[in-house]
Amino acid sequence: MAATSADAKKVTLTTSDNADLTVEREVAERSILIKNLLEDIGDNGDAIPIPNVNEAVMKKVLEWCEQHRKDPPASQDDDADSRKKSTDIDEWDQKFMQVDQEMLFEIILAANYLDIKALLDVGCKTVANMIKGKSPDEIRKTFNIQNDFTPEEEDQIRRENEWAEDR
Amino acid sequence: MASLNNSITPFVGPPYLQALRPASSMSSNRFDEGYSEDTRSQSGSDMVMRTDSRLGDGIGTDQDPQYPLPDWVLNMSENDRSEFAYAILRSLRTSSIAAIVEKLNPLLHLDPVIYLPPEITFQIFSYLNPETLLRASTLSRTWRTRLVDSPLWKLLFRLEGWNSNFPQVRAFEDAEKLRRAEKKEKGRKTRPRAAEDMEYEKPSTKKRLRERPLFGDGASSDNGIHDKLEPLSLNNSKEGHTIWGEQHSVVEADDSPTAKAEDKMEGIAYHDSSATTTPTTENRRERRPLELSEHSSTSLSSSSMDPPIRPTLLLSSSPEPKINWQYLYKQKKRLEDNWDAGRFSNFQLPHPKYPAEAHTECVYTIQYSGKFLVSGSRDHTVRIWNLDTQRLVLPPLVGHEASVLCLQFDERPDQDIVVSGGSDCNVILWQFSTGRLLKMLEDAHTESVLNLRFDDRYLVTCSKDKTIKVWNRKEILPTDDTYPASTTKSTARFPSYIINMERELESQHLYFKPLQSYSLLMTLDGHAAAVNAIQILDGQIVSASGDRSVKVWNVRTGACLKSFSGHSKGIACVQFDGRRIVSGSSDETVRIFDRATGAEVACLQGHKNLVRTVQAQFGDLPGNEEDLEAEARAVDRSFFDAQRRGLIPSEMTREQRRARNAGSKDPKAIFAYGAKLPPGGGGSKWARIVSGSYDETVIIWKRGDDGAWEKSKTLFQNEAVKAAGGRPRRPVTQNHAHVNQPAQPNFQAIAQQAQAQAQAAQNLAQQAQALHAATQVMNPTNAPNGTTVAATNPTQSANAGANQGQAAGPGQQHAQQQGAVVNATAHHHHHGPHHHHHPFPGPVNPPGTNSRVFKLQFDARRIICCSQDPIIVGWDFANNDKDIIQASQFFSDSV
Repeated sequence: MAATSADAKKVTLTTSDNADLTVEREVAERSILIKNLLEDIGDNGDAIPIPNVNEAVMKKVLEWCEQHRKDPPASQDDDADSRKKSTDIDEWDQKFMQVDQEMLFEIILAANYLDIKALLDVGCKTVANMIKGKSPDEIRKTFNIQNDFTPEEEDQIRRENEWAEDR
Repeated sequence: MASLNNSITPFVGPPYLQALRPASSMSSNRFDEGYSEDTRSQSGSDMVMRTDSRLGDGIGTDQDPQYPLPDWVLNMSENDRSEFAYAILRSLRTSSIAAIVEKLNPLLHLDPVIYLPPEITFQIFSYLNPETLLRASTLSRTWRTRLVDSPLWKLLFRLEGWNSNFPQVRAFEDAEKLRRAEKKEKGRKTRPRAAEDMEYEKPSTKKRLRERPLFGDGASSDNGIHDKLEPLSLNNSKEGHTIWGEQHSVVEADDSPTAKAEDKMEGIAYHDSSATTTPTTENRRERRPLELSEHSSTSLSSSSMDPPIRPTLLLSSSPEPKINWQYLYKQKKRLEDNWDAGRFSNFQLPHPKYPAEAHTECVYTIQYSGKFLVSGSRDHTVRIWNLDTQRLVLPPLVGHEASVLCLQFDERPDQDIVVSGGSDCNVILWQFSTGRLLKMLEDAHTESVLNLRFDDRYLVTCSKDKTIKVWNRKEILPTDDTYPASTTKSTARFPSYIINMERELESQHLYFKPLQSYSLLMTLDGHAAAVNAIQILDGQIVSASGDRSVKVWNVRTGACLKSFSGHSKGIACVQFDGRRIVSGSSDETVRIFDRATGAEVACLQGHKNLVRTVQAQFGDLPGNEEDLEAEARAVDRSFFDAQRRGLIPSEMTREQRRARNAGSKDPKAIFAYGAKLPPGGGGSKWARIVSGSYDETVIIWKRGDDGAWEKSKTLFQNEAVKAAGGRPRRPVTQNHAHVNQPAQPNFQAIAQQAQAQAQAAQNLAQQAQALHAATQVMNPTNAPNGTTVAATNPTQSANAGANQGQAAGPGQQHAQQQGAVVNATAHHHHHGPHHHHHPFPGPVNPPGTNSRVFKLQFDARRIICCSQDPIIVGWDFANNDKDIIQASQFFSDSV
């Protein structure tokens, strides 16, 4: 389609804090939101407003898109969601996700908004891995979670949950 | 720009200090608008931002006291300010830095459940296992609310490979909806909420789309995630909506358009209610669903736990009756634990109180579905039972002139049929609902009809005469898709009235007479001995024969597509699920073959006699073929690798050749490669095979840690009879000669007979009790066994089931296994005087006599089997637990 014939073509994105970022269209189109926008309105050279993502996060997201520009498009396969999920993350993505928690969450939110499924998956897996194998106290510390249960309540819940324990 | 430059700051300190960078950079444009305080304003701006994004209170409140920053600091660029701050920090003692770090900590560690919308935490949680999720539910109320989320558990349920009965879930919800709507109709006429009322009633009257076999809403939950915009800019009222509304409505939606519309309307209803309740901060803090105020029936005081500590069948937080999948998941897990631990109660057909309803001779075949079970016996009759009451539904179906050997039924009103075959060579079609004989296919075969199966289009029968026959279930024309397509490849014999379409078309012969239903379409020859068992699935017939082979046939052309060998003796039973063929043989093994390649992927050794009946359930996840094949390839690779490294002798010894693999992935145990299935046949960890044998046992097989099938439990048919509260086999009925008359069309007569028998039984029971007392004294050898003692204990009467159900602790398991009287319905107990005769102790009915297992079937909850004993027995792994029983109706049997 048009995208392949003019793959060096650039698009400009305007972030929530009014920064203009210019990237190759192929990179930007990792975002289904942007891809659809470009298809719907046509690429008339105007900057595309991305009102929900600020410059710092957008740069990070585009860095990921650049790295994954040649990845096959996300499968629309429903089965993918019904499979047993692994939290394995490839090495580059793991490094990429080594950011502070606020940035991590912002990336996840941006990936969700921009509809970049693979990035959203990586982000969610990263958070899942931060929960895996930790005691409740460790998880609380990791995420600065305020425990608003009374000790009795907590105990009650723990006892109710005993059915799930593997004998 | 500035923020990126920051990353080259020379300071390589603790990660949390570095982490400060993006946080401040993100709010940099706000800084530029001018603030009067630095640390304060930083935390302040963060607070504003985070309150927007639903960050909890308390963060930032422990910031430094006011230190107004001079304008020149504020006017610095982000980068410069950062460098400056770093310089200040470096001027401090380490302990001071540590204190600052401590204060900054809440900025760096953010609670994802507060920061991220439910759609995203849903996805995060979907990567975690149930144990982790439940552990995390103790973190805080917000975490708990997100984690006991029903759609999440629905997904987890599916990810286990468990099947659910979707039509039943829908029917239950709809029925409950209707019930509530009717109740509401009376009570709230004055309230101006007509629109919502309509929405309540509409869905229940809508024709629901038939569900896919499993869950169909993965796509819609996905949409939910991607449709979600602006997660950061949620305002307060929307926030409540998001947490409480969207997650449930979006994710629970099924994928039919009607349901989607309905969910939208649900959303509107939510909106209405939130408009009436001002979404104050208190409201949010209490984290109460907004709609609760509207539905006093479900309202909870703010102090109580919400959602409730213990999951309930219906969600308490939903205004619509919605099944709570966490509840289903929990009960399913508990049920599985019962299977693994061998916790069950026994029951029998007939009900011990109505012994006269029993078959009078051994029972060769059974099938059950829902609450009905149909059995066929050597006494020439077919009987239809209600499993809830353990009673006959109709008088025995009389028509066969010899033993009934095989049957299948479909009770659905559009089918309403029982088909049976017997030693009389006949096949009989019965109307299920009335027991009326609809049609007899006389001399369907030249010898006993050993097995039969039907689907919507075909009836397939097989016989001792070595042939398989295919019959049409509906009237067909030669132009129909179901009509036989004779090809030269096929060795099938077609009756003369079957037209070769190709030839007819050539001769322009275009007028065809329809072929009546249940006409013989073809006869398949090829087996060299009796064809003992047959299956039909997706146009393929799978047959198992005494000639030691399993064959696969095309049902339209009659061509034999494949022949499997491996068993060293005749094959008695077969099951085919599309990928695997599971067979039981006179060689005392159960084997699993890969349908695609014919490879034997497992051989289960454990029975000591012919394996007469087998059922397997692999618990496949939808669409896992690729995974299975990948697993198979990986095992192959490790096999070849081990071979290359000389770990496996190239020549197998005779012993090794004889030793079969039960499904282990150990390269040394591999003896077939190139299969599309991994050793053992693949499937989930809940995979289960149940086999029944002439050795009078039923074995439950499970996968061990290395994937190999192992004996999980061995059940004894005649222990079950004793435990089910019945009599020992035969003696009782032999006392009543008239019961041996197979045909007893007069139901009233049966009832009278039963009464008489009950009386006789009571007498017998007293005798038995006396005998028991004597036995206990005289026969102390029985004591260590425990079986006979428990089974003959006088308290083991009809209502012992109830007592045991309550008292059932792990310690009492044994007694329970042996002694429980099961009533499928707990309310069915009889509290009157004991009508029951007590089982005789061991010596009268020693274990291992005359109870060869002929046929069994299992579902999520029960195994039911028939045998040489006229009594049909069952093991119910719900073990009288009322929650498991309640939940079990939503678990699908996968046969």
